[in-house]
This record gives sequence, C-alpha cells and structure tokens, in this order.
Amino acid sequence: MKPKKAIITAANPRQRSLPLQTLIDREGLERTVLEVLIEDTRRAGIEEVAVVVMPGDEDLYRQSLRAGDEGIQFLPQLTPPGYAQALLSAEAFAGREPFLHLVGDHIYSGGGESARRLLDIAAAEDCAVSAVQATREHLLPRFGVVGGQPVRGGRSLYKVETVREKPTPTEAEQSLVVSGLRSGYYLCFFGMHVLTPSVFRIIRGLTEHAAGPVSLSAALDELARQEKYLALEVGSAHRYDVGVRYGLLNAQLAIALEGEDREEVLALLVGLLAQRQADAAAEGAAAK
Amino acid sequence: MTSRLLDIITSPEPAVRNQPLEAVCAGLPASELLAHCDELETFRRSHDNLYQRVRALFFLYAIHRFHLPPALPGSRALIPYEAYESLLGRRFEESIRLLLKTQAAEGPSPGLSSALAAAYRSLAFQTLADQVRRSVRSVAGNRWMFRTGHTADYPLRLRPELTSPDPATGLFPVLRETTPVRMDLSHSGWSDIFFLGMDFPEGARVLNISIDLTVRRPGAKPQPPVESYLRVIDEPVLRLTSVDLGATVDLHTIDEVFDFAKDYLGLLKAAVIAAGLVPSGMEGAARPLSDLFAPLLGSPHLGLELVSKVNDIPKGSRLAVSTNLLSCLIAVCMRATSQAKSLTGALTEEERRVVAARAILGEWLGGSGGGWQDSGGVWPGIKLIEGVAAGEGDPEFGISRGRLLPRHTVWTEADVSREARERLQNSLVLVHGGMAQDVGPVLEMVTEKYLLRSGAEWHGRQEAMRLFDEILATLRAGDIRGIGDRTHRNFHGPIQTIIPWAGNHYTDGLIERVRAEFGSHFHGFWMLGGMAGGGMGFLFDPDSHPRALDRLAEIMPALKRELEHAVPFAMEPVVYDFAINPNGTWAELKTGADALLPAAYYSFAVPPLVRKELRSLPPSKRAELARFSAACQHDPSLSGAVEQLFERLLPRAAEDGPAGNSLPRLLAELGFDTQQHEKIRADLKAGRIGLAQNRLPASTTLEDAPRPDILVPDPRRSAPGEEAIRAGTVAVVTLAGGVGTRWTRGAGVVKGLNPFHRMAGRHRSFIDVHLAKTRRTSRLFNTTLPHIFTTSYLTHTPTEQYLCRLQNAHPGPVLLSPGRAVGLRMVPMVRDLRYAWEESPQQLLDEQKQKVRESLHAALVAWALSAGEAADYTDNLPMQCLHPVGHWFEVPNLLRNGVLRRLLDEQPRLRYLMVHNVDTLGAAVDPAVLTAHIESGAAGTFEVIDRWVEDRGGGLAKVNGRLRLVEGLAMPDERAEFALSYYNSGTTWLDIDRFLALFKLDRYSLGNETAVAAAVRAVTARMPTYITLKDVKRRWGKGQEDIFPVAQFEKLWGDVTALPEFDCRFALVPRRRGQQLKEVAQLDGWVRDGSAAYVEGLCDW
Repeated sequence: MKPKKAIITAANPRQRSLPLQTLIDREGLERTVLEVLIEDTRRAGIEEVAVVVMPGDEDLYRQSLRAGDEGIQFLPQLTPPGYAQALLSAEAFAGREPFLHLVGDHIYSGGGESARRLLDIAAAEDCAVSAVQATREHLLPRFGVVGGQPVRGGRSLYKVETVREKPTPTEAEQSLVVSGLRSGYYLCFFGMHVLTPSVFRIIRGLTEHAAGPVSLSAALDELARQEKYLALEVGSAHRYDVGVRYGLLNAQLAIALEGEDREEVLALLVGLLAQRQADAAAEGAAAK
Repeated sequence: MTSRLLDIITSPEPAVRNQPLEAVCAGLPASELLAHCDELETFRRSHDNLYQRVRALFFLYAIHRFHLPPALPGSRALIPYEAYESLLGRRFEESIRLLLKTQAAEGPSPGLSSALAAAYRSLAFQTLADQVRRSVRSVAGNRWMFRTGHTADYPLRLRPELTSPDPATGLFPVLRETTPVRMDLSHSGWSDIFFLGMDFPEGARVLNISIDLTVRRPGAKPQPPVESYLRVIDEPVLRLTSVDLGATVDLHTIDEVFDFAKDYLGLLKAAVIAAGLVPSGMEGAARPLSDLFAPLLGSPHLGLELVSKVNDIPKGSRLAVSTNLLSCLIAVCMRATSQAKSLTGALTEEERRVVAARAILGEWLGGSGGGWQDSGGVWPGIKLIEGVAAGEGDPEFGISRGRLLPRHTVWTEADVSREARERLQNSLVLVHGGMAQDVGPVLEMVTEKYLLRSGAEWHGRQEAMRLFDEILATLRAGDIRGIGDRTHRNFHGPIQTIIPWAGNHYTDGLIERVRAEFGSHFHGFWMLGGMAGGGMGFLFDPDSHPRALDRLAEIMPALKRELEHAVPFAMEPVVYDFAINPNGTWAELKTGADALLPAAYYSFAVPPLVRKELRSLPPSKRAELARFSAACQHDPSLSGAVEQLFERLLPRAAEDGPAGNSLPRLLAELGFDTQQHEKIRADLKAGRIGLAQNRLPASTTLEDAPRPDILVPDPRRSAPGEEAIRAGTVAVVTLAGGVGTRWTRGAGVVKGLNPFHRMAGRHRSFIDVHLAKTRRTSRLFNTTLPHIFTTSYLTHTPTEQYLCRLQNAHPGPVLLSPGRAVGLRMVPMVRDLRYAWEESPQQLLDEQKQKVRESLHAALVAWALSAGEAADYTDNLPMQCLHPVGHWFEVPNLLRNGVLRRLLDEQPRLRYLMVHNVDTLGAAVDPAVLTAHIESGAAGTFEVIDRWVEDRGGGLAKVNGRLRLVEGLAMPDERAEFALSYYNSGTTWLDIDRFLALFKLDRYSLGNETAVAAAVRAVTARMPTYITLKDVKRRWGKGQEDIFPVAQFEKLWGDVTALPEFDCRFALVPRRRGQQLKEVAQLDGWVRDGSAAYVEGLCDW
C-alpha cells in the first residue's frame, strides 16, 4: 500500500527558522521553504503531513502557512533532542503505516517526482527506501552514507547493508564502498526516505542506551540489519541545502532558473555582472 | 619444452617449487647456463605473475653472479658505460637490454655478467618494493589520501571536543596517546619481511609481545615508551615537536610537510601524511596550511601542534620504537579527526589494522622500512601474528600468495596464564648491547636467500618454523626454561645458518661470559630483530634474575671497552626493566587545568617565550605559561621542571664544540702541519683544488692497457719465487691505517680489527686473516715471514694492543709502522657537494628514498654554508675531526719511521715487500706472482684484476702513452673508466733497493733521518693531492646519529706508477686474490661465490 503520510523534521535548534525562509517558487509565487516541501509531498500523493518543530514554535509555523494548508500538524520535539528523537515525536501521527520523511532544510528540484518514485518503490518492494545520490568523498562530512549491493535488475536500487553518519573517507573506504560507483564516490542520503514503523522501535531502543542525541543514520543502520531496506539512487534530481552558507540563495537561483521567471533572473544576473564590470572599468579610468 | 628452472618457478607442488637453483645449475658449462638465462629472460618478460617474475629475476641474478663467472675464463667483453648509467638511474630494463646486446655481439664475460647480476637483482627488489607500495596504497582506508589533491576536496574535520579552549583556563584540550613497543619472542627467521609474508604466508609467523619499558635505574618504573600529544593552537601553523630530540618546527605550507630530511622531524611529518591530516595526494602543493585548517578546524586562524616523546629508550633497541612511535602519532591524529571512533581508551581491531597499514605507509614515505610485526605495540599483550593467504576481494589476490597485512590474534589468559606471564617477566633480562647496526643489507640477504631457496638456508627456515611451534607450546605451558632453550637454539642454529652476520663477536663474548658466570641458571639467549649486539634478551632462573640484571649492567660495558676499537658501538649498553602491556595503544583527553604537555616539552619551549614581551604572545600561550607555572608548584610529574628550565635559560659556559680543547692538544701531539693545512684551505677556497680539479685534463689520452703489456703469472712457474721466500727475502706489509669509512659508514673503528667473519669456529678480524696467511706461507716454505702493519694515529694504539695480546699466537716477527701524517677535516665547499651529488654519477634511489635524499642534500648545503665552507670541522669527537691523509704516505713512512731500516738490519737478505691493503683478503705471498715480479726485473709490480661492475675507482690505463694506474678521482670523465679492462687490486710487489732508488736512497742511507725526510718530502711533492668527501658520523642523544660529508685531502699510492723513473709492471691475478671487501653488504656474495673458502684455504689457524 502506498504511504499517505509524511513527516518533515524542522526542530534543529540551530536551524529552526530555516523552513520559514521565503523564496519565489517556480510559478513565481512567494513561498516558504516548508510550503515548497509540502507542495512536493502533495504532488507525490501524500495526504497528511506532520512537521516536528521546537517546542513553542508550533504557532509561528502554523501562521506561516497559506490558506488551504490548515490540515498540517505541527508536533513539538520530544526530549532529549536529536534527529532520530525528532522523528520519534511523530510516531503517534505515523501510526503503524510506512511514511514519507523529508528534512526541513532541503529543497529539491523535481522534488515531487522524486518523492513519488520513492513511494512507488516502497509500495512495490514493501520495505523502507531512502533516496541517495552518488557524492564525492570530500562531502562526506555533511551526510549520512549507505553501503550495500546493487539489486539485481537495476532500477538504480541498492540493498542497504550499512549506514554511517558523516563518516570519514577512511571508514567509508572500509565499509561503504558500493560496486558500480566511481572510486571516491559514495551513496549519500538525499534527505528523503520512506520508512517503516519499525524505525520508531529501533530509535526508542537506541535512545535508551545513548547519552546524547541519536542520529537517524544509527537507527537506519540497525533497520538494515533487521529488515529489508533499499536505497534508490536519484541521479538526475538535485537538492539544495538551505542550511549552508549561501544555501538559500543557491536554492532560490536554482528554482528560479527552472521556473517561469528564468529570463528575468538571468537578466538580473547579467545586469549585476555588467554593472560590476562597468564600475571596475570606471575605477581603472579614474586611477589613470 | 620447459626447462627445469621454469618448472621450479611455476610448479604448484611445494616439493618442486622449493628446490634451489643449485639443483639445476651446479657444474653446468657456460653454454647451458646461458641457454637457461635465455629461457628465464623470455619467461620473466612474458609472465604477469609477480612472484614468478621476481623469482626468475633472482635466478638470473644468481646465475650471472655465482655460476657464469667461473665458467667464463678468459672472456673480457667490457661493460658499456650506457648500461652502467642506466643502472645508476634505476632504468634496469634498459640496462639489461644494453648488456644483453653487448653479450650477443661480443660474447659473454665475467664483467658483463657482474653488471647483469646487479641489474637483475636491483630490478627484482624494485619489483617487490613497487608491489608493497601498491598494496599499501590499495589497503581500504588508505586510498582516498592519494586521491585528495586539492584543498577544496579536503574531507577531514577535527572532533569538536578538541576545537574549543577551556573557558576557565583558556587552554585547548590535549589528546594524549601512549603506546608500548613490541618484542618478538620467536625471532622467526625474519619472516616478518613483507616480501616473505606476501609469498610464503604459511611461513610468516611471529609471537609478538607489547611491553612497557624503562632503562633500569633506582625508582624508574616501566611505562609505555612512546607518547604523542595533539592539540589546537591559535596560530595557523602546523607545529611539530620532538621532545626527546629537542627539535621543533613551525610549518606554514603544505609542501613543507613533505620535506622529510630538512630537520629531525621527518617521522612526525610522515605520521601527519600517513594519518591523512595532510593527504599524500597534496604533495608539491605550495598552498598555505591554513587552507586545510579552515575546513579541518573550522577557522583559518587556528593551527595544530603534534608532539612526540620517547621515554629514554635508545635508538636501535630492536624493539621497533620508531614504528610504534609512528603508529602512536598516526593513532592520535586519526582519533582527533574521527577516523578512529574512540577518542580515548583502546582502539577497535579494525582501527588498529588501519593504524598498522598507515604505519607501513609512513615508513615508506619517510624512506625507512620495517617488518609487518613492528606496529605490534598498537595491540595489547601477547599476540600471534601470522601471514594470511590472499583471498578474493583482497587487493593482493591474483598478485601475491599472501596479503600485505597479517592477522593478529591476541592471546588471552586462557592461552598464557597470568603466572606464566609473570614468570617470563621475572626471568628475562632485556638489554641494549650498544652496537650500531645497519640491518638493511641483512634484510635484503634474507629475501634473496628465501627466493632462491638456497639449500642450507631453506632448511634453516624449516628448522626455525619447527622451533617456533615449540616456543608457542612452551609459552602456553609456562615453561620459561624451555623458551630459553628454544630461543638459544634458534640463534645458534637457523638464524645464523640463514644469515651468519646476525651474530657477532661481541654477542658471542657476552653469551660466553654469562654462561660462565651463571651456568645452568642461564636458560638461553634470545636475539631480537635484524642483528645481534643491540636489543637482546637473556633468560635466567627467576632466583638468579636480580643478580643477572646487575651483572649484565657490568659485563656489557666491560666487554664493550675491550672491543670498542674493533666493533662499531653507538652508545653505552643499558639494561631495561620491562612489563607486559595489557592495553596496546591508549588515549586520554586532558582538559581544563590538566591540558598541559609533558614537563620536558616546557624545558625547551618556554625559554624562547620568556625572552619575548608577554603581550606579544598569543592568548593561549600566555594561559599555558600561567598554568604551567602554577602546576610546577604542586604537580609531582613536573618536579624538576623548573631546574631543567633554568638549565636551559642559563646554560653553563659553552665549550668549543664537542671537540673542546682536546683537539688542539691532539693536533699538537700528532705533529699536525698547520702550514700545509692552511695552504690546502686556501687552495680549496680559491678553487685550485676540489673534486672537479682531481680529474686529469680532458685532453689526456687514456686508453685501455694492451693485453701483451700485462704479466700473467703462471702457477706452474713458481720455483724462483719459492726459492726467494725460502731464502727469507720477502716481507709482507699490510696497510692498516684506515677506519673502514664504508665498512661502518663512518663509525670510526679500526677496520683491521673488525671481527667480520667466522673462520675455523671463531670470529676473525682482517688482521687475524692476514697473519694466518703469513703463518701458512712461513710453514709451507719453512721460513719466518716478517709482517708489518702500517698504522695511522687512529689505528695505532688499538692495533698495538691487539697484537700484544696475540703475541703468543703468531710465531713470526710482527712490526708496526706508525703513521706520521694527519689532516684536519674541513666543512666541504658547496661547489664540491654539488659536484658529488649532481655531476658525478650517483645511484638513484627508490622514488621515495630519493626524495628524502634530495631533501637531506638541501639541508647539508645549508649546513655547509652556515658552518662556513672550508672551515675546520670540529663539531665532533676529536678523533672524528682528524683524518688519515691517504695510503701514499703509509709506504714512505716505513722509511721515515725507521721500521724498514730495523728490519733490514735484522734480516739483511730481505729484498721484496708485498704491500697490500687491509681489505684485500686474498692477497697472500704467492710464489707464482713473485716469480713474475722477479723475472720482470721491475722496481714494482702492481696486481690488477678483471673489472666487474662494482669495481669503481680507477684502473690500469695507458695515459699519454705510459701504462699506469689511474685513480677513479682522476679519471678525465666518468665514461673513461669503462674503457679499462683491469682494476687495481691494491697489492704491490716492491723491490726494496729499486724502490729506495726512487727516493735517491739506499739501504745504507736509511739511517740518515734528515736525508730520508727530505727525500720523502721531495717525492711526495710530486704526487697529486686529491680532495675527497667522506661521511663522518656524529653521535648525540640516545644513540642518534647524523652523517656529515666532510672534505679531506689524500695522496694515493697508485700514483707512484705515474713517476717516469719508477719502473713498474702490472700482473693480472685471479679475482679471488685481488678483490677487496669494502662494504658489509659484500659479505654474503663473498661467502657464496667461494671467496671466503678460498681465503680460509690460505690460512693456518
């Protein structure tokens, strides 16, 4: 059965306002990052969405929504803090069904399509599936990474055997090399997963023994040991992390260049460059 | 049809594969040997299997080195210079092609075979080294470091626990790693050499124990011998500090990290690279290190400090101190960058394996090398380390039979009980005997013998494997006496069967004395590592153990004092206290007020800081000084730190370098000629003399000696010589003034006294061998040959003492001819250093070693400039600052010091002198050669031999029409030497009267000292002066050694042949008679090609 629910995490204390940042979407409409993500889930066929936020941020988030998005639930992050615990905060919402999970600080080009593919595979294979992308090793400090084997028959699917959070290349070479990938490339999380309810039980177990925050990667590593878990390589899609330096600007430009305002944005950029060059020439002439 | 040799190489059957080459080649004629060579050459070029190719190369080497030369009498095709040049440039394939082409065109010859042997051997070792390097790079976890070439791709991040200073103290946390060293209880026949483990994994096994250690003294307790510290600093530099070497450096750019030999911090640099902190792929990048620190530390304004500390353990301990220090440094860097999960405590097995692989990489980067068990200190306690067959998925699969990295199995108390461990600790006396050792040649010999499966050595290896199983069983049973019995048998049996030079006279003496004193309470000797004499163990009854500790601390220095002129010692012997370490490498995080470095660090880091304005110091330094000052008042681990600090701040009055005042006194005593020295200095500085000026003018006509001009002594024609010997007309002169610069790489021992080889059951020195030959000749001809040893200021007293001890053992007269001339070494001219390194053909080294050498050359040029070109070299022991002035002087000295006159008075019939070098072991008073000399009527007959590839340094040539010896230094160009068929053996027959006539003297005027001195001075003035560079060791710290090239001058004996009035001839003698032993690495070939047996056959013991 195709999952109908999605959980978006937006409770990272250092990035709590990121999903509320505004940009202009492909249609030229002013939207928050969160709204863009919710739109992606709707296009993929998701009917119910829960957003896990910092306790006390619920109203702020609720107010940011446009009319028509009232059905979204805002759930406070349970203690202790941590990515995996954030997901656990939405356990009751998810119930006993698989669900789509997105991170609140990413924006995707063709996000709806990627989410739909992920949901289709999860339904067809009846298991958890994470979207991954082949990523060069110097970016490993940013992502969770999976190791595994290609599934016979292709379709860019991999059977996940190991998951590590932000591994060093030393560790990646030892346990995360995937055949068929160029050397120095690893399957890094795309920030989009379809997960089974087992993940909640696993997170609870890990939380009991952990002194601090638990990463989702640790839980998914355990999930891979306990049940069938696949990774789907979304080669042509792009993600934009709005949490990094110039991340929002980069995401905005990427969306704008794909959308209706492409010409306008290009003209804007060319204008900026031309102006800069003219200023430099004028400065040079004045100096002479 | 495949030949039997190819069967041996390719057969899957061990019984066939393990046959020696000799099984096929012994006694074959040259034509059949050459046919085998053709097959092997075709095979090795057309097959991919690494070890089959390497074995074929070793077979080719051995056939050309040992089997073909005796089968090719009379052949003399010369070695083409281009082939030699390719050999030096490590273009081995090209060299082989050129040599084979010459062989095809001109026929085979011993000279060509010697060059082919050298090329095949070098290519075999290069192939093996390349494979190890490839394997090290392909170990999972190491590969990314070679791909990361740009700072934008840098993937490491420092752990957050280390990046923020403590708010209260301002100190950054310090990560401290401590690591034990390892000892190998089994020795295991060097089976931990990578090549062996990768070809013969089933035979590669060691029992490796991690130990804490201290040099024995009151109050000292064993502790992990190596430590490393890592912390963030608030300057964008990589600060590397070695506390024990007292060296620190701030590196600012990436390429500085790869400059290994620039300072004493090469090991730390290798660790930084091998740990991935600065990945290998970035070599050559001139970018600032802050480009890496920005992503690594989160700020381009911060930097890192890495500190190493070896706790009082001398170099050369055979306990793999440097490999474990490298591992310790790599581990601390890996922990700090999350490459090891555990920030503190022990490492996981997987992490230990990565550290071990990285340590191998680090050793390769630093141009050194060790065995695969050396990083054993990373693991805890007692472990069995075994080679593992390469399986599918291993990078070695299909290339070599074994994996690069072995398997470690840590033994629990179920394997070896706590009581057995304690009993071992209470029985074993671990020592450093003090000997300096270069184990490199030994490891090459072991590899070669293994690949050739030489009969006795291969059986020795099987025996060592059986003993290994017995050692495991006795340890499991807690039978320490049984262990001692096995390790003792191992040392005296298989180890010395495989490599006779693993043992030595000093070690034998120690064992003998311990056995005599402790009798049955001494359970056995245990050899550690590559050679005996450094790290060693003695097992005793536990009741005798305390006394044994005390006594060995007395026996070793006493024996050292007896032998120190003959055997190279690097340091005073020491006895250790040790304990088995149960943890392996271990880390702790020091935070807050505890975040200090070891006390010794501050003793040299603080003085430069206190001389600065306090406000000019970075905040963290100010905080650290404050905290250190507070800690000194109550922290017991810092007791004595203040005194050390004051010692550094206010050093005692400096002396005039290590030579102090004793050097001028010594020079005065030795009659040093200041005037001549200043003239040489002026000529050197002005460029009138120097390496380039040593050469004969380029316009010189230099041709090979025509064969008819050479005397060839006929063994069947010896009656006149025999009669002359019987009549008492002959004396032997051995030139023994040298200190074996090449033999011990400048260690400054008396070469003639070095007990280098066991003959007739005992280690014998060069002087022993020469006297034994004289005894035999005396006996055969029923006469008493006088034997004169010429000496120099360096060798005279020890030689005299040695001969006094031998007095009763040698019946004939033995005289000493003390040297009169001495020189004072000088700092070399940069011009000469560059000439030696850049314009003279040099053996190019393996890629990484060559990089290290080039870095060292740059450092030595800087040293020469800062010390002052042509300045007196005084920064060493006085004896190391002086130099003998060449063997020319040794013969005329016989005239000046009255030795010849006295001899002639006592033995008026004396007419001939056989003068030979101490290295020329085969030189005996041969009646056939003497007959040739007598019948030629010449004043002097100089012996020459057919040139082989290793015979560098001149030869016999027709120079502007006159046949004479030309020194290598004087060759107009490098190529010229290769046109010469004959090499100078250094042995000369002199007609005494005609030699005296050269000086315008006769027997009767020898008593006139003034006339003799004037005559000698007049002839000496006509001899050319050569400038040479010699390597001199300077020892410091705990067994540390630096080698400096220093300039000195020489006048050489062979140039006497250039004097027109001196009537000389040249006689071709067999190689075994004329070859010289210059380097320890020659010993193995010398034994295997029958030369040793030949020499032994000339001796009476």
